[in-house]
Amino acid sequence: MAESASKPRPLLGPLVSAGQQTVAGVLIGSLAILIVSATAGLIANRFSPRRIPLFPAVRARDVISLPLPPGIRSMAPQKAYAAFQAHSALFVDARSPDEYAQGHIPGAINIPVNDFENGALSHMDQLDSAPAVVTYCPSMECWDAVDVADRIREVSQKPIYVFEQGWEAWQADKRPVTKGDQP
Amino acid sequence: MKRLLSHPITGHICRLLLGGAFVYANWTKLFHADEVARLIYGYRIIHPDLLNLAGIIFPWLELIPGALLLIGILPRSAATLLGGLLAVFIGAAALVMMRGIQIKCGCFLPLVSDHVDWLMILRNSILILLALQIIAWPTSFLARRRP
Repeated sequence: MAESASKPRPLLGPLVSAGQQTVAGVLIGSLAILIVSATAGLIANRFSPRRIPLFPAVRARDVISLPLPPGIRSMAPQKAYAAFQAHSALFVDARSPDEYAQGHIPGAINIPVNDFENGALSHMDQLDSAPAVVTYCPSMECWDAVDVADRIREVSQKPIYVFEQGWEAWQADKRPVTKGDQP
Repeated sequence: MKRLLSHPITGHICRLLLGGAFVYANWTKLFHADEVARLIYGYRIIHPDLLNLAGIIFPWLELIPGALLLIGILPRSAATLLGGLLAVFIGAAALVMMRGIQIKCGCFLPLVSDHVDWLMILRNSILILLALQIIAWPTSFLARRRP
């Protein structure tokens, strides 16, 4: 009797410890948390200002496009090259000045994500006169090009694209490159 | 040693550290599914068609068990879930490093390195040890002794 009197008794009873003494109970609890978490994520996304579709839009099989903030569109490698040839867009390199100097798309200006204000200020004329803006960074998993595009969108009314496959794809496709700290 | 590991204070510390780490790492990601999807893409272990879904669900899948651990509700189940996730992260990080890919992990910025490296694997291994302690000797502030 004295022994049972000293046993812990959960204040919230079942929520704290029910089923937590057996392996099955623990696994059922984990599954319940998993379901609640997934549901919370889906509901939050439904009402988020940065809502994304549950599944990516169907595109060409060899071109993946990840979700982008509102007002920013993806530009596939072929279209990026076409825009480069036609001079129909200003390319913005979101990488560091060192990476930019080692090689970049000819004509691209450098606006590093870590120094956006200075970079954007010094290239404001070009941003204003460009028919469209295309940002890029090393590859698809970097967020810098999207970040720079998102911030350009706040100061420019021009169509803004992200060349998601970025510098690595440009090099892999053996497109023209130039070196140095000038466009 | 076992006495120290099984002590309720050790349990509380492990629970708060593990839960706090996951809550801290995820609360800013909750409404940025697009960024999370891009981070997950970097690991190249999920089919592109499932990236959006993963980006939507993952932050919540880490935050809710973390919050449950902080509060002390279903500590064993929450720790089991987080331990499993950490094991997956370690496997994914090892794959990325074997392939020689350099990517951001988006884990605990700005406290430690934000890149997938040995430090990340070491940190996740320590967190798994915390999860194991909680699974073995669960504690909760909500439990009290009979008067």
